[in-house]
Amino acid sequence: MVGETLRNLLMIAWLLPLCGFAIEIFGGFWGSRKSRLAAWIAVGCIATGFVCSASALLIWGRQNEWVVLDKAGHGHDEAGHSEGENHAAPGHEGTAPHAEEHKEEPAKAQEEKHGSVAGSGSYLLTSMEEAKADQTAKQTVFSGTIYRLATFGGLELSLDYYIDSLTLVMFTMVTFIATCIHLFAMGYMSEELTEEYVDHHAHLRNGHHLHRPGRFYRFFAFLSLFCFSMLGLVIAGNIFQVFVFWELVGICSFLLIGFYTERKSASNAANKAFIMNRVGDFGFLIGLMVIWTYFGTFRFGESHNAEGQVTQAGLFQMLARDEAGNVTKSAENGEVVIGAAEASLNPVNSRKTIPYFLLVVAGLGVFAGCIGKSAQFPLQTWLPDAMEGPTPVSALVHSATMVAAGVYLVGRFYPMFVQEVLLTIAYVGCITLFVAATIAVVATDIKKVLAYSTISQLGYMMLGLGVFGWGAGLFHLVTHAFFKSLMFLCSGSVIYGCHHEQEMPKMGGLWKKMPITAFTMLIGVIAISGLAIPGLINLSTVFAFSGFFSKDAVVATALAFVKANPAHFLLFIVPLITAGITAFYMFRLWFYTFAGKPRDMHVYDHCHEAPLIMTAPLMVLSVLAAFCAVGGEKGPLFLLITGDQPGHVAHGISATNGLTLPGHDAIHSVHGQAGLLALIAAVSGTAIAWLLYGTEKVNVAEIKRQLSGVHSFLANKWHFDDLYDAIFMRPMHIAGKFCAWFDRTVFDGILHSAAKITVFVSQWDRKFDETVVDGLVNLVGNSTWSVGNSLRTVQTGRLRQYVMFIVVGVVALFAILITSFAG
Amino acid sequence: MSASLNAYLLVGAVLFICGVVCMATKRNGIGVLMGVELVLNGANVNFVAFSKFTDLGLDGQIFSLFVIVLAAAEAAVALAIALNFYNNHLTIDVDRANKLKG
Amino acid sequence: MNPFFLLSILIFLPLLGALILLMFDERNAEAMRFWSLAVTLMTFGFSIALYFQYDPAQGMLTAEVKDWIPTWNVYYRLGVDGISLPLVVLTGLVSSLAMVASWSITKHVRGYLILFLMLETGMMGVFLSLDFFLFYVFWEVMLLPMYFLIGVWGGPRKEYAAIKFFLYTLAGSVLMLVAMLMFYFYSGAKPESFNLVALADMASKGGLLSPNMQVTAFALLFIGFAIKLPAFPVHTWLPDAHVEAPTPISMILAGVLLKMGGYGIIRIAFPLCPYGAQYFAYTMVAIGVISIIYGAFAALAQTDFKRLVAYSSVSHMGYVLLGLAIWKINEAGDTINSSYWQMGLNGAMFQMIAHGISSTGMFFMVGVVYDRVHHRDLNKFGGLMGTMPLYSGLAAGLFFAGLGLPGLCGFIGEVFVVISCWSFSPMLAILAASGVILTAGYILWAMQRVYLGAEYKGPHPEALTPSNARENAVGFILLALAIVFGVAPALLFNVMEPSVKAMAQAAEAGYKQSASQLNELQAQR
Repeated sequence: MVGETLRNLLMIAWLLPLCGFAIEIFGGFWGSRKSRLAAWIAVGCIATGFVCSASALLIWGRQNEWVVLDKAGHGHDEAGHSEGENHAAPGHEGTAPHAEEHKEEPAKAQEEKHGSVAGSGSYLLTSMEEAKADQTAKQTVFSGTIYRLATFGGLELSLDYYIDSLTLVMFTMVTFIATCIHLFAMGYMSEELTEEYVDHHAHLRNGHHLHRPGRFYRFFAFLSLFCFSMLGLVIAGNIFQVFVFWELVGICSFLLIGFYTERKSASNAANKAFIMNRVGDFGFLIGLMVIWTYFGTFRFGESHNAEGQVTQAGLFQMLARDEAGNVTKSAENGEVVIGAAEASLNPVNSRKTIPYFLLVVAGLGVFAGCIGKSAQFPLQTWLPDAMEGPTPVSALVHSATMVAAGVYLVGRFYPMFVQEVLLTIAYVGCITLFVAATIAVVATDIKKVLAYSTISQLGYMMLGLGVFGWGAGLFHLVTHAFFKSLMFLCSGSVIYGCHHEQEMPKMGGLWKKMPITAFTMLIGVIAISGLAIPGLINLSTVFAFSGFFSKDAVVATALAFVKANPAHFLLFIVPLITAGITAFYMFRLWFYTFAGKPRDMHVYDHCHEAPLIMTAPLMVLSVLAAFCAVGGEKGPLFLLITGDQPGHVAHGISATNGLTLPGHDAIHSVHGQAGLLALIAAVSGTAIAWLLYGTEKVNVAEIKRQLSGVHSFLANKWHFDDLYDAIFMRPMHIAGKFCAWFDRTVFDGILHSAAKITVFVSQWDRKFDETVVDGLVNLVGNSTWSVGNSLRTVQTGRLRQYVMFIVVGVVALFAILITSFAG
Repeated sequence: MSASLNAYLLVGAVLFICGVVCMATKRNGIGVLMGVELVLNGANVNFVAFSKFTDLGLDGQIFSLFVIVLAAAEAAVALAIALNFYNNHLTIDVDRANKLKG
Repeated sequence: MNPFFLLSILIFLPLLGALILLMFDERNAEAMRFWSLAVTLMTFGFSIALYFQYDPAQGMLTAEVKDWIPTWNVYYRLGVDGISLPLVVLTGLVSSLAMVASWSITKHVRGYLILFLMLETGMMGVFLSLDFFLFYVFWEVMLLPMYFLIGVWGGPRKEYAAIKFFLYTLAGSVLMLVAMLMFYFYSGAKPESFNLVALADMASKGGLLSPNMQVTAFALLFIGFAIKLPAFPVHTWLPDAHVEAPTPISMILAGVLLKMGGYGIIRIAFPLCPYGAQYFAYTMVAIGVISIIYGAFAALAQTDFKRLVAYSSVSHMGYVLLGLAIWKINEAGDTINSSYWQMGLNGAMFQMIAHGISSTGMFFMVGVVYDRVHHRDLNKFGGLMGTMPLYSGLAAGLFFAGLGLPGLCGFIGEVFVVISCWSFSPMLAILAASGVILTAGYILWAMQRVYLGAEYKGPHPEALTPSNARENAVGFILLALAIVFGVAPALLFNVMEPSVKAMAQAAEAGYKQSASQLNELQAQR
């Protein structure tokens, strides 16, 4: 079974880093501090993972004969399938796997026969036999269960896998970049290979620097743990599992940001990152709760039994959409109808309908998680602080993979998002990309610029997804991963070369000292800025690096969206302007760092190019940053990513709820226009950057002085940190103090006053006891005693007297007897 | 003619009175003991007399036998006490034995 | 093994061990410690044996019933099922680990050990008895050694803490006693009985108490158990008791004693008064949510490390209450969303075990540094990662378990409870979910102040030596368990699920019966 092979390969890639982590953390702790073994193990694990992922991708492609790439011929519509017919059986219409809403059309019999076909692979077919041959050959989505966590009645929680083209691309991308970064880190972190590392950023109270043993092994152990978590997130076959690994990447990020635990700023940043992510996860949890309560399952795809028959529908099958791509509403109560086409496949506890607003809540909730993870507005402030971590971490975790996980999840969970949610996503992305880009313009720390640029680019991805550019957003994710990790590694190389100097104003002219770094960085900068050389014959044959194609795709989608919904014109204008700003600040960074004259000769003199182990990954990544998107939206990468896109994406959604979402055709028609506008913006941004920082003919300081108000507003990051401090952190602490005070004074106060009352009452009780009760008893005793005292005189001890008493007594008795008898 | 019951009782009463008077007047411990013997014997006379003149059968005789045995035992103990008392105090004057005075 | 023997030995082996302790030489503390450790380990071994002997499908594993006070129908009746078994094993485990941690106790070692073992007897007895009277007796048996252990071996305010603990718990058990007598005299049972199984059976048929009586009885029982849990308004004994108690006792207190509250609710209050339980369901969930939020906020403001962990216990035990009570009915008296309730119940049970592991670990970790530097002021720590690396790593793992990190045990309990809660009340579910932010806040902040940073800022810096093998062993065992249960929760769920399901179904039936009785009564009027 291909599905099992794929699953096994990806699971090896996924679990190897976990084993690596266990070996590295303990082996390293008890091993030599000077050993590079941990790094080699980590590299071995992740490189093996890359090999597994790549071969999984190849196996996947071979078994479906690269059916997704055939779309190259038909462009964006389904009319022209001339090339597709070379491979496919006649009558197969549109190789793009359609979404679940067309599920009704293939008969139930078909599903039973070809039960192994997962979720979204369904086709309009002419005959059953052809269908069988075709489907087994062309199956692109595989889902199933790895491991069962718990079952309660009809509720089942498990670890699942969901493998489609997006999963495979992400796996390959993540493992590849991770391998490069691991190798780079081996050089970058080599200072830690010592028994006594001096941390110049951590100061002791006596003014000395901190000395501590090196922690080389620990860094690689954490990286391995991160790779495991990230790959788990990608392979996840249900939204709960995504949440599990979501948290795990969060904690890995926490550990890596706070790698220099001795630095207060690092541990603060780590806490901030984790807690802000938790704020997002709070929303994520709400989304999970709604889904769990109404759908009764978390799985994306269908579940199968041992024979490969479908036993239960997944989430993606349960939200039916009509021809126009809208969710269907129940005639009875106006709520949204949920459930699989085949009622028997519904999870036991799923409900029949869900209120529309709850569907929105679920979508927004899950998106809230993405906001946190992808550092979107309003939770964007943690990412710049996260630059406290070592630079390879910034490259891997905080630019290429983890922060992109939010975008990935939006893409993965796309079938469950309704229009309102998408619009929110678009606006959040739009605000984020602008805010972050403006801050990047004034940042002077080389890593901070890149961090803000990352936030901004993530905003582009979100925007792309929000305006129904499913492919565009994820396309930008992959290209961005390559060029941004490249740029971060370049900045790492600069920082390494300049002995941990990160301030750009102290650099300048480094081009001569570190040519490889400067050149690869330039490739990255060009890629992210979206510069291109238009083809001489027509616009569709531009020569450009990857960033142009993907950003162009996003901008084009936004333009198509705005054309359909003119009210939301900002969704196009803002990203277009920001494209210019992006080019400006990226070139500013490059000119500032590498061009011109050295500004600080001390830094310049001690600066040197990084060793081969660090520059080699740069070169490899620069090639990919430049050419991974070759062909643009007809190129293999885009087609691979969109191979299993949600079915309703291709056609768009016609106006309902006042919103029209563009389909492929609509986007395609404005592509040239958008590309041109984006290019103009990028070129002007580049030109301004060159004027200001490249030529050194304009006095930048004077401009800064003129606009000092704006500058300080931007340099203070729009005052978000201050705002959050005032409206969240302080009230939190006050509430905490209040609760503690309440506990001590009110609850304990009540208790103590109860105790005091008890003591008071018992004091009275004691008095009563002592006077009245004891008095009575003493009275009896005293009187007895006094009687006895008076009688004691009789006890003379004289025998004869006693005898006399007896005699007298006897006589007296007789006398009484006699008198009484006589009487 | 045999003596009547009253005669016996009269003898018993005389013995009893003599005994009591002896106990009450003697300061000598031995004398007190002798008074006790007299009282007991007065009682014995009564027992035997009642046994003879009523239908009690031999009960009275048996009682008096018991009394005699007990009197012997009591005399032995009492003489031992008296001897001991004498050893400690060089006297057997019962008025001097006032240690148990309340 | 014969169940009667197995269950009895679990209870009385520690007591036997305590008796034998009397034969040891007073001066040979080391030998007495090893002996006590051997006894607790043997008890733990027997509990493991019980785990393997128990078959989840069979329901209740009961032992032979012996006469105890037949005049009043009190019997020596023991049994174990999926609800109590995990807690029994947990008790064995936590007692053994706490005994390992007891090496730091040097004052009156013999007395300490004897009380410790008596405490274990009491705890085992509570979880194993199926006779209400026996349950009550063990409940009190456990109380007294605890009082002395806090009051004699505690910190500076030990007397205050011990008396507070004692009075709170005693107040709870008095209420429980009243409820117990209600069941005995007012139930329809002839002859009157303390047999929990029989009473529960009657209750599920609607024949135990009238609905109104059930409400009263449940309120009494609930207050009694909520004190132990502890839930929001009656939790203030906990921080004081924890702060003053010596480390091993804190471990037991957090690891086992708090679980008795939850156990009592699910074993006694729910099955015996299903109508009352349903009547108070919303209240209980609300109290649970308040405990979560309130505990977390209070923890945020603490400067005493141990107090912080104590408040985190309040917060975490709130999830237990929340999960137990998400029982929703419709107008007809039928339970709806039964699967979600069962998920909540299972999650709550799991949370008890998970909290037993994580908070035992957290208290132990606090104790390790306290033993070295003799203070717990969070603002005077820092840099422990450098001086005690292995210890800090283990501690971080255990704190993450408390924080609810996936892959560690805390996550499963919390998240299962929370996601099953929406079906009961969306608003409360949202509030409960917001606890994750606060939890992350106070735990990370505490970790930052203690373990991270450049250097240690408090007194006795020279005492901060790396943790020894004994401490590492305890840490490793707890962390390993946290990981095992976090990765394979089915280990526990497989045991608990059938019993919990049976309990839930019986309660549902009981509620239905009582509700219809009430309707008839109203119809007659």
